[in-house]
Amino acid sequence: MSMRRVAVVGAGMTKFMRRALETPKELAWLAAKGALDSAGMTLDQIQGVVHGTAPDAFDGLHMKGEYLSEGSGGWKKPYLRCYVGGGTGVYAIAQGWFQVASGLFDTALVVCEEKMSTCLPHPQAAFLTIFDNITEQPLKPNLLWIFALEQNRYMARHGIRVEEIARVSVKNKRNALGHPSAQLGAELTVKDVLASEIMAWPVHRLMVSPTSDGAAAVVLAAEDVAKRVTDKPVWIQGVGWCLDTTYWTNRDLYYPEYVEKAAWMAYHMAGIREPRQEINIAEPYDPFAYKELHHLEGLQLAPKGKAPQLLADGVFDRDGDLPSSPSGGLLGVGNPIAAAGTMKVCELFWQLRGEAGPRQVPGKPRRGVAQAWGDLMQVGTVVVMGTAQL
Amino acid sequence: MKTPKNTETRTWPGAIPLESLYTAGLGGQVFFKALKERGEIVGTRCASCKQVYVPARVFCERCFAELSEQVTVRPQGTLVSFTFSNFNRDAQPLARPQALALVRLDEASTVLLHYLLKVTDPTQVSIGAQVKMVIKPKAKRTGSILDIEGFVLA
Repeated sequence: MSMRRVAVVGAGMTKFMRRALETPKELAWLAAKGALDSAGMTLDQIQGVVHGTAPDAFDGLHMKGEYLSEGSGGWKKPYLRCYVGGGTGVYAIAQGWFQVASGLFDTALVVCEEKMSTCLPHPQAAFLTIFDNITEQPLKPNLLWIFALEQNRYMARHGIRVEEIARVSVKNKRNALGHPSAQLGAELTVKDVLASEIMAWPVHRLMVSPTSDGAAAVVLAAEDVAKRVTDKPVWIQGVGWCLDTTYWTNRDLYYPEYVEKAAWMAYHMAGIREPRQEINIAEPYDPFAYKELHHLEGLQLAPKGKAPQLLADGVFDRDGDLPSSPSGGLLGVGNPIAAAGTMKVCELFWQLRGEAGPRQVPGKPRRGVAQAWGDLMQVGTVVVMGTAQL
Repeated sequence: MKTPKNTETRTWPGAIPLESLYTAGLGGQVFFKALKERGEIVGTRCASCKQVYVPARVFCERCFAELSEQVTVRPQGTLVSFTFSNFNRDAQPLARPQALALVRLDEASTVLLHYLLKVTDPTQVSIGAQVKMVIKPKAKRTGSILDIEGFVLA
């Protein structure tokens, strides 16, 4: 495959919060402008724009991609909205990568936005109609049902205790204390997490990410442009994604096989054979506490069922052997759906450039993986980024 | 919603149960405050792109600059296009046609959609006509685009 090398040269994001005063368009602009400013670039240097946003319903608009185009810098440019539910924030990076790697454009701006507080009575209502309208919707399901069923399967299969899952909330909310954009940074104990109310057994309230408003963006550039605009390009070494069946009940929920497939697609592209040895930092998708562990296993960064033990051993701490969600993740920074995945890509950019401030992972990490997940619990989207130009 | 009577074909009604609470935003706050409190139309100017955006916006879509220069524009302009609609949104005939206008305010670069008032027939109107904005009395203004009643021929 002859593709051009593509680097991330700028990143920006808004604060993640409840009830932002800004319109969705204004949130997108703040993040996009931040990404351009950090690259020392202006909008006229951008050739293509990719926008990612999850359900239309959140912003109370249909054709939300079009609505958000000016805020994303899409005015009179080749503009594309992409969408794979919660997986969008990382998938959008792959979309931008195609456009530059293929030689079509030298630069692309990737912007993801979500304003969930618009949605009443609760953003959760936007998800009620993702379920099968013949066999499932009459039961009046909500998202917590499937997360609870999946977490229970995962715990039962491997003999994992709920205390072990709670540690993810403790770690990520603590990490988020160092993030200037974070919504829910906190110093908590496992006991605090387990004392929070049970939403749907075994999921406790403090194991659930918040609903958020926010946007995040990155600037992508082809090799020659990247080297001209920055001394520290962060290269996109691999991208991958995979969708499993929409009949989510027919999968064995204990393991995200689609994440494994997406990860290997990206790892092969990056020339990675031993992910556990060759990746220094991970930003797996953590909308729920157990999902971080589930996804670390899917990403081949822990053997099946072993992520909880590695977590307890401190491997995934910021100063551990394989820091996971040093940003604070969705549990700590917040979860404006599509923007949350891009936030993880921004975090890799800052970490790999040594610009993560109080969140900086020690030891000069050279390579990281970011992953998002979504649709009807069926999509894995993965990007591998590194300081080395492969 | 009615369930169809044909009992052989299994169908049932459903809905996406959502409502939205829209925010005016950073630009909209400026615009609606001026409209509600002073009955004025406020835009923002991008000096480098030579654009005046009405309603006020916080950023320029062309160059991404933050727009801090506010401009109060006169409530008058030119009719860019018009139509008379004979049906409502549910495809039901209207008792009286609804006249609609696209208007470029004299000092703005942008065009506003609103009602065209006091006309009953397309022969009374022509593109390029001068129009004036009708703003509701202060007591009736709520900070909405409907604080503007519409436009009348000047």
